[in-house]
Amino acid sequence: MRKKSKREKKHREGEIPTGSFSDIAFLLIIYFIIATTLVKVKSITADMPAGEKSAQSQSDKTPIVNLRGQEIFLNDKPVDLAGLNERLAALELFDKDPKDRVIMLESARGTAYGNYYQAMASISTNGGVIALVKEDEK
Amino acid sequence: MAKIRQSKKRRKVAVPIASMGDIAFLLIIFFMVCSEISKDRPKPMTLPWSEFVEKEEVNVVARVQIDEDGQIWLDGYQYDSPKDIEWGVRALTANTTDDEERKVQFSCDANLPKEQFEPVLEAIAAGGGILMAVGEDQPQ
Repeated sequence: MRKKSKREKKHREGEIPTGSFSDIAFLLIIYFIIATTLVKVKSITADMPAGEKSAQSQSDKTPIVNLRGQEIFLNDKPVDLAGLNERLAALELFDKDPKDRVIMLESARGTAYGNYYQAMASISTNGGVIALVKEDEK
Repeated sequence: MAKIRQSKKRRKVAVPIASMGDIAFLLIIFFMVCSEISKDRPKPMTLPWSEFVEKEEVNVVARVQIDEDGQIWLDGYQYDSPKDIEWGVRALTANTTDDEERKVQFSCDANLPKEQFEPVLEAIAAGGGILMAVGEDQPQ
């Protein structure tokens, strides 16, 4: 009985069944196609240099955008978002050196990120380099 | 003329399917190589809007999120302070040479106050990252 089975094993031809490989492959492709999400987020790229600059060394000519709640001020003059865009576009910042493209962004306590974002987007789109104005820590 | 028409009718067309499996495996390899597993999951937040947002290819060095509860996340891990974000971004941008490799995707809830998001913005800038702030199109 033992001898017989051994002989049978020797003569058995082992073949890997490859007939269903293409089916498996296509199933995997379908899985990848369904599971893949092509992420393309909408965003703005803001140039925001690091480092500190004292208030005294800031040029008086540097434009300053001030956010106070829902209100926007450019050089202490109230503007709406469209007005801010127009005024920043008129500065033609793209043609200037990076050091002359600085726009200071100051905001009051409690300013929501939504308002802040719109000001940042406006400055960046018009070629400005955003410099955040920090409050003095007392 | 009649002869040609007859011969056309009789011709048998066999679709070559022998290489289908190979093509399929090549496609799988392509998908596996090109796929990037997302390091973070979207957090609950209301994104800000602007008319200037543009669709950009996601090729960022780090992803920073502040959810509606004010919790700060860097690449899917929660951190307590903006200083941690600065060190994280600094470490990730340390070996970069090009500006394109220093982009940090930043998402934040539109209703959060300045006190919560501004230190994180400063931390990203201090860490050497270029801010890529995520937003939405202007609502209709």
